[in-house]
Formats: sequence, C-alpha cells, structure tokens
Amino acid sequence: MIDVGFWQTVRREIGRICSRKMYLGGMIVVPVFMALFFVSLLNEGLPLKVPTAVVDLDHSTMSRSITRSLGATELIDVSRHCESYDDAMDDIRTGDIFGFFVIPDNFERDVLAGKTPTLEYYNNLTYFVPGTLTFKGFKTVAVTTSGSVVRTLLVSAGMSDTSVGPLLQPVVIQDHPIGNPWLSYAIYLSPTFIFAVLGLMIYLMTVFSITIEIKQGTSAQWLASAHDHITVAVTAKLLPHFVVWSVVSQFCLALMFCYNHFPCGDLWAMSLAIELFIIASMAFALFITCVLPNPRLAFTCCALIGILSFSFAGISFPVQNMYGPIAIFSYLVPVRYMMLIYFTVGLDAFPVYYARMYYVALIIFPFVAATLLWRLRRACLKPVYVP
Amino acid sequence: MSKTTDKNRRHNWFVQLGLAFRREWTMILDDVGVMLFFIALPLVYPVVYTLIYNPEIVTKMPIAVVDNSCTPSSRTLVRSLEASPSVAIYDYCTDMGEAKDLFASQKVFGILEIPSDYEKKIVRGEQATVPFYAEVSLLLRYRAYLSALTDLQLKLASDITMTRLQATGVSALGISGLPVNTANTFLGDPGQGFASFVMPGIVILILQQSMVLGICFISGTSRERRRRFYGTDPMMLDDLSASAIVWGKALCYVIFYIPLTIYVVRYIPEIFGLPHQGDPVDYLLFIFPLLLSTAMFGQTVQYLCKERESAFPIIVFTSVLFLFLSGLTWPRYAMNDFWTWMGNLVPATWGVEGFIRINSNGATLAESARPYIAMWILTGIYFLTAWWVTATIRRRSIRRYGPLPDDAQTIS
Repeated sequence: MIDVGFWQTVRREIGRICSRKMYLGGMIVVPVFMALFFVSLLNEGLPLKVPTAVVDLDHSTMSRSITRSLGATELIDVSRHCESYDDAMDDIRTGDIFGFFVIPDNFERDVLAGKTPTLEYYNNLTYFVPGTLTFKGFKTVAVTTSGSVVRTLLVSAGMSDTSVGPLLQPVVIQDHPIGNPWLSYAIYLSPTFIFAVLGLMIYLMTVFSITIEIKQGTSAQWLASAHDHITVAVTAKLLPHFVVWSVVSQFCLALMFCYNHFPCGDLWAMSLAIELFIIASMAFALFITCVLPNPRLAFTCCALIGILSFSFAGISFPVQNMYGPIAIFSYLVPVRYMMLIYFTVGLDAFPVYYARMYYVALIIFPFVAATLLWRLRRACLKPVYVP
Repeated sequence: MSKTTDKNRRHNWFVQLGLAFRREWTMILDDVGVMLFFIALPLVYPVVYTLIYNPEIVTKMPIAVVDNSCTPSSRTLVRSLEASPSVAIYDYCTDMGEAKDLFASQKVFGILEIPSDYEKKIVRGEQATVPFYAEVSLLLRYRAYLSALTDLQLKLASDITMTRLQATGVSALGISGLPVNTANTFLGDPGQGFASFVMPGIVILILQQSMVLGICFISGTSRERRRRFYGTDPMMLDDLSASAIVWGKALCYVIFYIPLTIYVVRYIPEIFGLPHQGDPVDYLLFIFPLLLSTAMFGQTVQYLCKERESAFPIIVFTSVLFLFLSGLTWPRYAMNDFWTWMGNLVPATWGVEGFIRINSNGATLAESARPYIAMWILTGIYFLTAWWVTATIRRRSIRRYGPLPDDAQTIS
C-alpha cells in the first residue's frame, strides 16, 4: 500500500482533538445535552390543561353545567372565574390565562325561549399551541352544549333517542393521524430539532477544526503530513470527527427510538440515514470553508445557515407554502433531506423505496464539496488570518 | 503634571466608567466582526425570518380522494371540501393503494376515503362515516386539515339536518336551527398567522443573541491578546476597577443597541404588517432592562470564550435552547420545574413574554410588571457574576501568562 500519510494525519487530528476542551464540548456535551433537553422538555407530548377562565354572567343551572363540562375537558383547566369580560381580558394581558369562555346574561332563559343566545369564547393566539388547544376545548364544549339542547328539544318533541344522533350529525369525518395518533409534539418535534442541532454543531465544529489550522498557521504542516494531497488531508482530518459524530448520533437515535419508544418504522434505515447526514453536513461545512477560507466568515456563514435551517427546513412551517425564492434554500441544506427521510421511513413507516431520492441527495453533498478543495489547498499553503 | 492629575481623576469611579465606555465604543467600531453581530444581525435577521414565515397561513395542502361511492352526494362532499382554502385536491384515486403511493411519496398529506354506502346512509337518515387519513409530521398542516374538516362537518350538519327535520315535520314545532350560537375570537393574532405569532418573540431573541455573540467575540479577542501580551491586554484599561469596566461596557452596548432596538421592535412589525398594538413608550421602557440584563449576561458567559471564534460553537446553539425555554413554542406552564428555572435565568424569556403581551395583546407596562421586574433582578444578579468574571479573567491571565518581562513593556 502506498503511504499517502493518511494514518499519520488521522493521528495528528486525534491529538488535536484531545488537546482542546472545545472539541469535547462542541461534539459531545452540546449535542447530548440538547437531545436530553428536547426529550425531557417535550416529555408530556401535549401541553394539556391550559389555564383558562370562565365568565359566567348567567349563574343558572345550565351555565353551571357548562362550567363543569369545561372543567372536565382534558385540554383546558378552568383556573379562574372572572366577573366580567374586562377582568378576563386583564388576565389575558398579564398572561395568567390563555383564553376565556363567556356565558351571556340570561343564557338559560333565552335558550328555553328559543331566542338563540350566543356563547362566546376568546383564545389568545400569541402563544400558538395553548391558543389552539383552548380553541379546540372551547369549541367542543360550545358545540356539544348546543347539540345537547337540540337533543333534549327533539326528544321532548317525540323523536326517539337513537334517531336524533344521526339527525344532528349526518356525516362524521373520522380523522386518523398516521404515525402520531397521540398528536404528540415530542414525537414530531424532538427528532427533527435534534437533527437540526446535530447539523448545526457539525457545521461549526468542522469549520472550527479546519480554520483553526489556518488561524494558527499550521495548515501547511497539516497538508504536509498528508503528502500534499488535499483530499487525503481533508478525509483523514474529518475521519476522527466522523467517528465521534456517529457515536453521538446513534446515541441520540437510541435515546429517542429505543429508550423513549418514539414510533419508528425502519430503525436501520434511520441509522444509515444519520450516517449519511453526518457526512453531508461535514461536506456542507467543508464547501463553505472552501469558498470562504477565513475563520470568521466561514463561521458566520455556517452559523447563519445552521440557525436558519430550523426555519426553512420546514420543521414548523411547510415549505410548500413558503415564497418560492426562499423555499429553494430548504433544498440546499442536508437537514431537509434528513427530516424527509425521518418522516417517510421513520414516522410514517413507509418502505425505504419512497425515500430513495433523499438518500441520493445526501450522498451528493460530499461530491459537490470535493470540486472546490483546490481553493482550500491554496488557502492552506499560504495561510492568511484575517481577524 | 498632567499625568498625576489624570491618575487622580481615575480614582473617581464615574470617570473610570466614562473611560471604559469610551474605550469599548472605539473597540466596537474598530472590529468588523463585532459590527457584523451588533449591526448586520439585528438589521437583516428579522427581515429574513419574517420573509420565511410571511405567507402566514397554510393553504392549498394537497390531498387525494378515493371516492368509492361515486354519487351526487359524495361529489358534493368533495366539492365542499375543495372550497376550503386550506385544502387542494391533488388527485382522484381509484383505490387506497394508489392513494397510499401518493401519500408515501409526499405528493399528498391527506387521504379522504368516501365509503361505497355513503349516499345510501345519507338518504336513509343514518349516520355516514368518512375516514380521513392525515400525515402529522407537521402539526400546522394537520391543524389546517382538521379545521377544514370540522367546518365541512358543521356545514353538512346544517344542510342535511334542515332537510331531514323538514321531512320529519319537527320544524313545525319551531326548531329552525341550532338553539345556541357560538362565536369565537382570536386575540393577539386574529389572522391566525404563523409569522404574526412567532416574530414578536423571535425579534427579542435576536436582540439578546446578537448582543451576547458580540460581547463574547470582543472578550475572546481580548483574551487572545492577553495570552500574547503576558496576561495584560494593551487595548483594555486594566487599571480601572472591575465594576466600572462592567458598567461602562454595559452602558456602551445598551446605547449602541437603542437605534437597532427601535428598528426591530417598532418598525419590523410595521413593515410586515404583524400585530402591533402596544404603546411605544411602554415597550421601549420594557426593552431597556432587557438590553441591560443581556449586556450583563453576555459579560458573564464571556467566561467560556477563550478565543475570538469560540463564540460561535459556544453561543450559537443556545438560540435554539433559549427559544424553547422562552415558552414560545412549548408553553412554560407545561415545563417541569428544572426547565422553568433554567428559563427564569435567561433575560429573553422574560423579554419575550412581556413584549408579546405588550405588542400583540396591547398590555401596558404595569400589566407586564412581573417580567419587567424579573429582568431588573437578572440585571442585578448578572452584574455580580460579570464583575467576578471580569476580575477573575484579569487576575488569572496575569498569573498564568505574566509577569510582564521588561522588554515587552515597549509593545503596549
């Protein structure tokens, strides 16, 4: 075998990694901490029992029964009973409640007299999740209240109890949430966020390990240890990183899918995907470093893209609805493909066949980065540090 | 002579504060990297973020329809569903297998399967059940489907129930429709838009994170100099008292940030038509302790940044952490005590909470008293830690890299 200085460069890099605490922090402590953070923070799946208030202006048997139904709903928690609309609005502004339900004056009397009173409910959407949950809880109670009144009226008018149900609700649309029937935030949010954090840290640590050579002026020595082959130098340098990232990523997968039992169709396909994702992310950072072989600029660029990836990868807002020129960016970052693989083979448990193109996309990244290595070589031979 | 008066003047704490302020100001202006954090980041980031989320709502999400009934009723059902802005029919499939194929290749995110006995059940006065299979990888999308389906269900109920009631003759009894109306109002974000919800919180985080990054950048650079100059930093005024340096720097950062803060909290919502209710006096007064506590917080975490560029790996990821701790995506009441307390220690948590209330719900400063006071308390706590950090870095560097040899004195 021809000696191209590969193992020599690998040994050199291992020495460098061990010599600085930064690598330990950035490659192990931060990713593991963030994985544990997401898993423990979103542990409950859904933030049930949203604090809300009831404004009962009627004080009748019917209004009290509505209050009780509200209290029995698992989505909301009637933590306050306000005397007026203004009181409730004050509580909204101070942030004590996320919504309130108003039972108007003379509600019971108007219902019995057929005057069609209105049940009003207010949801504070400045916090999306609790706002939506209060909406759902209030709506259910409002609709069932109105339904139960009609039922009583119809039954008293002589209709049979069994025929009233279909009459009031002729069509039931049953929704079946595939993959995540609990609608748990933990299941769909933590894996994607953990992947995005991994991506971000891989970018930053890769940039760090390469540009520090340029900064300290050791880049020529690095290149020399690989007998001046930039491809060998880069591969050998990033190999120990890859090993560490693999272990960390597999730990994250194990934490989510084995320890926490998040649904996952094909765990092997996910394991493979995350390995490719690591390579793609490293290649992405390498590409940026080749374009901008300056520590500060490469870092700024990677940090910017890494943080924005959380948004334009479509984790929270669907890419299909973004503006075209912005949606394009989502296809330029590896985390997008990782996320799609997770949704397809993990969450929805479809065969890997349907995710094949995403795997291919991840494989393309290193080849793109390789085309610009000549720029990095030039920068390494004459290292110039611009602070 | 001038040297001695200068030395006497330096005994005055406020003069020291002024000197530290002036030095920091020139340091910021001389460093392109810091200017990037302090100016470009708050200037550009809010715009980029809003552009990503600016479509606000989820519309035209594709679904596949498997119509096993093929009757006028089933076609009415599909037409009514398609009328909803959140749903678009991608394709009609002959069977579930075909629909599943589209679903798996992410062409559609929902399948409506109309059973073959749909019309029969409607005509017979029975209850028809229509299954809808939805993908829940994105709850925003699922929510859009669900609200479209619920509306459809209510519409069908009122249409079909009316005809049925008339057929049974019960309508003669005076039951014309539902006996109770329901009305709902969304507060703070009436359009249910995503940018309107997320941006007021994000801008506060951008202010905090950009400032902390900049501070760590300055500090990392200074510590590199300390290593080179035997524990002293020729650019820093090491003879000043540590508390004066901390306050001088903090005031410098806060004053530097005032124009940008006005741009971010006043004009960004206006430019993009986001909710913008509060009184400018209220939210600007509210933001002040946020900036001050952030300046102190930054001077505390600078302890971790030993090198200019290490600010990136150490600080950048915390944006995600702080975003979650602030309760914007996951409400704080649902967190366990540990994470609640971790969140309490971050200035932006309180900043986000109070600013959202003022900006979106139109609260006054008095109604946001709790977060406001909390930020002042954090200012106090982080001043003490920043003081310790500043003094410690100075002392330790001299101990580790000093003392200054005689020939090196000429460098400074």
